[in-house]
Parts: sequence; C-alpha cells; structure tokens
Amino acid sequence: MFLKKDGRDEYRHAGSLDAPDEEMALVLARESYLRRAEGDRLWLVCRDHLIVGTPEFISPNSDKPHRHNDGERIAHRRRRLREKEH
Amino acid sequence: MPIPWTPAIREFVLAFADDEHLMGQQHTEWIGVAPFLEEDLAFCSIGQDELGHAASLYAIVIGEGDPTGASGPSVDNRAIDSVAFDRNPGRWRSCNLVEMPTQDWAHALVRHWLYDSAEQLRWELISESKLASLAEAAVRAEREEWFHRRHADGLLDILMPDPTAGDVLRSALADLMPVAVGMFDPVIGEAAAIEAGVTAAPFDSRLPLWIDLVRDRFDIDPVLDDRAASIQQHRTVRSEHFENLLSRMCEVLDLDPAAIW
Repeated sequence: MFLKKDGRDEYRHAGSLDAPDEEMALVLARESYLRRAEGDRLWLVCRDHLIVGTPEFISPNSDKPHRHNDGERIAHRRRRLREKEH
Repeated sequence: MPIPWTPAIREFVLAFADDEHLMGQQHTEWIGVAPFLEEDLAFCSIGQDELGHAASLYAIVIGEGDPTGASGPSVDNRAIDSVAFDRNPGRWRSCNLVEMPTQDWAHALVRHWLYDSAEQLRWELISESKLASLAEAAVRAEREEWFHRRHADGLLDILMPDPTAGDVLRSALADLMPVAVGMFDPVIGEAAAIEAGVTAAPFDSRLPLWIDLVRDRFDIDPVLDDRAASIQQHRTVRSEHFENLLSRMCEVLDLDPAAIW
C-alpha cells in the first residue's frame, strides 16, 4: 500500500493489508490508511505481483567499502596539495 | 422564502435523525469484534459517518426550531446531545430495523446493505428540499454514502456466490426483511413535509424500487407483509429492544449526569 501526499512528494510505502479482492482492497485501504486523508493518491500492489530480492541476493554488496564515496579521501588529498603549495 | 418550521416537519426530520443515530450506534458496536482488522476499521468508519449524519439532522431540528435564530448556523454540541440522548422512548421516531440487536456478522452486513440502499432513496427525496439546511445535508451525506454502498456491495459480491456464505446471508435476509420494510412506514409529519416542499414524495413510493434492488442483490423474491408497519404505528411505538439499546448508549453519560463533555 503506497500513499502520495499532495504536491511533489513521491509515493511511499505506508503499510499493508489483507483483502479478498481488488475492489475490497481499495475500500479497506482507504479506511485503514487514509482515515485522516494522509495522502491524496493511493497505489495498491498485490503481493503476488512483487518481484522480491532476498537478503542472500543482496548481501554480497554489503562488503564493498570502495563504493561508499563520502568525499573524505579527495578532501584529504586536496588539503595536502594546498599545504604543499604554501 | 423560508419554510415555516412546524411540529409536523420536526417529526419528519427527527425520524431520519433517529434512524441515522441508532444505525450508526449499532455499526460502531462492532469495533474490536468485526471479522478482521481492516473490516473493523471500515465498518466503524461507516458507523461514525452515520452518527455524523444524525448530528447534522439533529442540528437542523434544533436550529430551525429556534424562533429567535440564536442557535445560528452552528448548533452547540451539548444541545445536540440533549436531543440525541435525553428523550423518553415515546419521543423517539426510529424504525424497528435500527433498534434490533444484530445476532451475528451476516445480520450486520445484510442490515448494512438494506439500510444504506434505502437511505440513498431517502436522501434523494430531500436532495432538492425547500428546507435549505436539509438539502445541504443531503449533498454532504451522499459524498459518504456511495462509499457505504460500495463497501456493502463489495463484500456481498464476494460472499454471495459462496454456497455456505450465500445460505447464511439469505437466511439473515429472511429474518430482517419483514422488519426492514418498516423503514418505509410513513412518519407522522410526512404529509405536511411533502406539502411544504421539504421532501419530494412519500418515502413508501420508493418501496417498489427498493424491493427491485433487494431482488437483484440477493437473487430472491422477497416476501412482503405489512407487519412491521402495523407494529411500529408510524414509528410512535418502540420495539422491545429499544430500552436496552438506549441504556447502553447512555451508559457513560449516566455515570455523571452533571459532567460537561
């Protein structure tokens, strides 16, 4: 269940629900997640239609620090060069 | 040209307010015990909407009935509470359908459908009322009512084709139908309301249309009798269930009658 607020905000996952069919999913989603008009648009995606990536599929990428660029090494190098010039 | 407010018109509006009030109350009694969580939320929302309609109709009864106009467009909530809760049973004008306790979820669902399909026809009759406040209430109510009907129909679409569920629902319909017909029993004051242009036509002129809706929805030929109407005596007589219901509704209020809510 995804909600979008008014304006340029993107759709965000807001929760999930059980419903016997698409029509009831819409009806029940409104009263379960939009009771106070928490968004002005709504997407419902049936669980069966989700393409799921498991933790095992993702985990090899958890050990690649070289892909984390926080700019610190470049900043350090530039600092060093500046100090040399002076 | 404003409609002159008369006791007869008051009775007419009060009957609708009382039906909405008790129907809302009965729906909200499913909070926490509806068949599943999502339905719990949806059904109590619908009950809350009906209570809101009742409040707006009670506000009309109070506001229009105030010859000084001191109530103004916004009527004090305490005044609404006083009309809504502080009347002896003989002054209520509710129909028997909304007074009876539901026996199970099938009864609650079928009553929800029966009531809301009739309610739509009732709002339509006053949608162009010469009583402007009533016509405005009808427009506001319909914004919520289509959702109520969609909810009831959505569940019945799924459940009716199932042999077991279908049988349970048809059995609930057989129990409820004789009482439900009493919704159309003419309220005292209806003739005067028609004459004044408060409503377009007698509510029971819509009964054949409603019966067609029931026939299409449940795929059976409803058996009609006029027992409900004769028992209700134009809604001047309360059913055996009313006192229990009212005492439950007033349980918290009665804890401290002097408290201000």
